[in-house]
Amino acid sequence: MKQQKSLHRRIQEGKDFGTVLPALLFLGIFVYYPVVQVVRISFTNWNLINDNYSYVGMKNWIWLFQGSGTKYLINSLKVTALYTIGELAITIIGGMLFAIIFNRITKSFSVMRALVFLPKYVAMSSAAVVFIWILNTQNGILNYFLEQLGQSRVNWLGDRNRALGSILMLTGWRTVGYGMMIYIASMRGISSSYYEAASIDGASKFVQFTRITLPLLSPTTLFLFVTTFISAMKVFQSVDVLTGGGPYRSTEVIVFMIYKYAMEDFRMDRAATIAVFFFVILLAITAATMKISSKRVNYDA
Amino acid sequence: MTHEPLSHDQAALLNQRAIAKRKVATVLQYVFAIAVTLFMIFPLYWMFITSVKSQEEVLLALPTFWPREWHFENYRNVLSRANFSKYYYNTIIMTAGILFSQVVTGVLAAYGFSKVRFKGQKILFLIVLGALMIPLQVTFIPLYIMFANWKLTDTFLGLILPEMVSPYYIFMMRQAFLTVDDSYIEAAKLDGMGRLGIITRVLVPMCKSTLITITLVTFTNGWNSYFWPKIIAKNETRRVLTVGLVHLRNTFAGLDTMNNHEIMAGAVLAVLPVIILFFVFQKYMLTGYEKTAMK
Repeated sequence: MKQQKSLHRRIQEGKDFGTVLPALLFLGIFVYYPVVQVVRISFTNWNLINDNYSYVGMKNWIWLFQGSGTKYLINSLKVTALYTIGELAITIIGGMLFAIIFNRITKSFSVMRALVFLPKYVAMSSAAVVFIWILNTQNGILNYFLEQLGQSRVNWLGDRNRALGSILMLTGWRTVGYGMMIYIASMRGISSSYYEAASIDGASKFVQFTRITLPLLSPTTLFLFVTTFISAMKVFQSVDVLTGGGPYRSTEVIVFMIYKYAMEDFRMDRAATIAVFFFVILLAITAATMKISSKRVNYDA
Repeated sequence: MTHEPLSHDQAALLNQRAIAKRKVATVLQYVFAIAVTLFMIFPLYWMFITSVKSQEEVLLALPTFWPREWHFENYRNVLSRANFSKYYYNTIIMTAGILFSQVVTGVLAAYGFSKVRFKGQKILFLIVLGALMIPLQVTFIPLYIMFANWKLTDTFLGLILPEMVSPYYIFMMRQAFLTVDDSYIEAAKLDGMGRLGIITRVLVPMCKSTLITITLVTFTNGWNSYFWPKIIAKNETRRVLTVGLVHLRNTFAGLDTMNNHEIMAGAVLAVLPVIILFFVFQKYMLTGYEKTAMK
């Protein structure tokens, strides 16, 4: 009797396990196994042109850190860092400003909020194609406006000092509404008693904002910081469509560099090496932010 | 420091001033908000307006902000000449496949990680969450080689397979299922319901709003996906809208800006389903990201 029961329970437990099995199998085959593979490929001379490959030890790693690849890596890291700082500033500072402007509970404001948030849902490729048209040097509407203001035309995407900024215009357009929505949601979570107490004490609106709102929004800011940081590091699409990494590699972010080596030069070995290095950076950033989040943030709201 | 008591008149004056000040602030806020909204919506407006202009009108030195004539045949041209109907078909099949499989595997796994107990559950859940930290941008090289060996390039299966399971979906649905009290499940068991009955007739209806929200996010991510489709489906046969639109622009690029009205028509076609969905399900779409943030 007892044995039967335990058998029954074992079957039940097996069926329970069965509900998570499909997901685990897929993640195993299509996420975890490729990680092992990408590390392995970084120690080979694999390219898609030859059928065979052999292990070459640290050759690719030396190429990346002490060889002809180093200057491209440094360039990519610089571009990615600049881009990431830009997207962080737009999402957090811009999102906060937008939240202040749009945080009003009326019907018309909720319509406007929806419109400001909408670009987030517009496919990046469509948005990029539209921005290419808007930024066009000859017929673009932006240069038309500039000329009306007495400025000269600007080569937005073809100038190596401007291209990254132009990409950020597109990214900013898509993400600023997202930052706004997140901030508004948590601003509404702040108890009004804080503000009432502060205004009885005679604190101005500005002081109330810096002393109450900002500190109590710090978990939200951290959330935005971490998620935006990680997603900005992975930027690819806007670069691919707007500039293709150019001009003169001035917008060649790290994922675009990986992509180019793999899918244009078919150098799987070199691409894999950069990818592994990129993965290590991502993990380090995630670990670091997790550590910070457990300390320096105010969770009192 | 003590304050002198205010006379009645003084107090009334101060009050009036405060009200006037508030009114000015409100008007300013409206003006500001409307200006910012117009600015933000302009690229979409410009996309649409350009898409219905004639080629001559697009190239005018003085741009027109309202089309002189409406040329809806631009849409027909894009759909026929540039194979856009094919891209549409491919995108629909790919998105449907991703959606179906993420919902099924996601809901099942969310149940398995919230409402039952089995050995090794905690570690397995950590493995699921760990997958969130491994982006496709790192793993696409071996995946591409794998899929090429399996002859899955330029196939629907190739497009769908890597996106069939979403750790994000599992995580969000698990959070929702955890809020359902176990007594409902006990009651359902007493009624003789099995696992599937409990999931489809108790848990899913009770977590409907989360399910809709997360599924909409899955839909838009699938519909808008670009990186993997670009890698795995390079040929015309299985090209999706996002990649096809860029391809369209690049193949027209020899003519520089000559075909911008048609490219914009393509862009409108590519985003239209998502925009319609956004307005229909606004309530869910607006909260979707907030829910993620509040966890």
